Amino acid sequence: MFALKNYNLYINDRILFENLNLNINPGEIHVLMGKNGVGKSSIAKSIMGDANYTVKGSIIYNNEDITNLSIDERSRKGIYLLNQSPMAIEGVTNASMLRTALGEREKNVDIFKLNKELLEVCEKLELDKSFIHKDINVGASGGERKKIELMHLWILKPTFIILDEIDSGLDVDALKIVGKSLKEYYELYHPSILIITHSNTLINNFDLYHVHLLDNKKIIKSGGKELAHDILTKGFKDLDNSSTFVIRKNNNYE
Amino acid sequence: MNKILVSDIINLDNNNYILDIKTSKLIINNKGNNKVFIINNNIIEDLIINMDDYSTLNIYIYNICINNNLLVNINQNNNSDINYNMAFINNSNNKLIINNDLNGNNNKSNINIRNISNKDEMVIKINVNIAQNTFNNIALEDLKGICNGGIVHIEPNIDTLSNEVMANHLTTIGAINKDELNYLLSKGISINKAKKILLKGFIFSNMDDYIKDNYGGEIDE
Repeated sequence: MFALKNYNLYINDRILFENLNLNINPGEIHVLMGKNGVGKSSIAKSIMGDANYTVKGSIIYNNEDITNLSIDERSRKGIYLLNQSPMAIEGVTNASMLRTALGEREKNVDIFKLNKELLEVCEKLELDKSFIHKDINVGASGGERKKIELMHLWILKPTFIILDEIDSGLDVDALKIVGKSLKEYYELYHPSILIITHSNTLINNFDLYHVHLLDNKKIIKSGGKELAHDILTKGFKDLDNSSTFVIRKNNNYE
Repeated sequence: MNKILVSDIINLDNNNYILDIKTSKLIINNKGNNKVFIINNNIIEDLIINMDDYSTLNIYIYNICINNNLLVNINQNNNSDINYNMAFINNSNNKLIINNDLNGNNNKSNINIRNISNKDEMVIKINVNIAQNTFNNIALEDLKGICNGGIVHIEPNIDTLSNEVMANHLTTIGAINKDELNYLLSKGISINKAKKILLKGFIFSNMDDYIKDNYGGEIDE
């Protein structure tokens, strides 16, 4: 299980979130929505361990307090962040990076198995196979970069995935492929997923999910699909921004 | 490719060469289309490259531990094309000076330098001079240094006396990029390995596959 407990998030002494609580059970999909600048991406980065943020309270994963773990330790615990603008690294190929990353997790990396798996993933993602041995994200379009990050995901097999607005800047076809691939991964490995988004194109790939609306440094509303629908049809302004928390019982919201 | 033992002067003519240089001064006369490798050489101090008209040279100079000063003079007259690529690591005070004269027309000069300074100071001065009344020359400088315990000093100079030239220079000096480091950490790679990967990627970013494939292991050690 993943949880934020009494979570306070700061950047340069400015508080972004106050006393926030969030529980994500194994295999659950949760969606964070909120206005631009409310701090959604900051939550994602802080969960991954970005040193620019200070966390007070606890980040719990699989019954372990990971608040003070380094980025790489969190990753090896199974946490994976896929963000909206993956960076390019000159001189480091996807294959060599993945080989090293797997080597940090397993004693012996089977290179032939890895190569076979990479080819299969590229086919699945409709990604040119040449990217396997190309420098990470160098010369790749926005859509290709997100597919490359998904390729990394399929190889590293995380158990808790954070998707930070990965649907932004993708064309219709790329969105379909990315959504299909994520759904396939979810059905195969049942990871917990935290999605940050402004649209329903990605979340529509999943049957059941929980939605949390962020504002004023906290979660102001939680609900199911209907809350996402309300937000996307009415906008943030016209929602009833009562500060009452909605209580979840057996995946239903009151 | 076989190593060729050279002293004083070598005339290149449409081939690939790995030069094993035993003298402190070498003159390369470039004719036709050539690729040259100079690897881990700390003997040469004075290199002169004379580009024949209509000739092309791709030169790769790689040194995992440079401990000498190097002065390079590149002479181009008409319709020649040089890609000068150099990657090196220094652990002591050293100087690299490159003077590249474009005396005629339709030449291309592309100078790519990568340096990691582990200790003391590396001084890199690149001077590209484009002569008066010349046209259609291209001069590019891409000079990057990483301070990894040492200091990098880069002076990128392009002096042109002609209006009809395309010139561009890019210089960066810094530490290991924090965002790149965090990216690798987020894939579960430990900090020391991630740093090593980034330094290796940086130093080989302007090198030919031949050097990456045959000398990549040196950096790992």
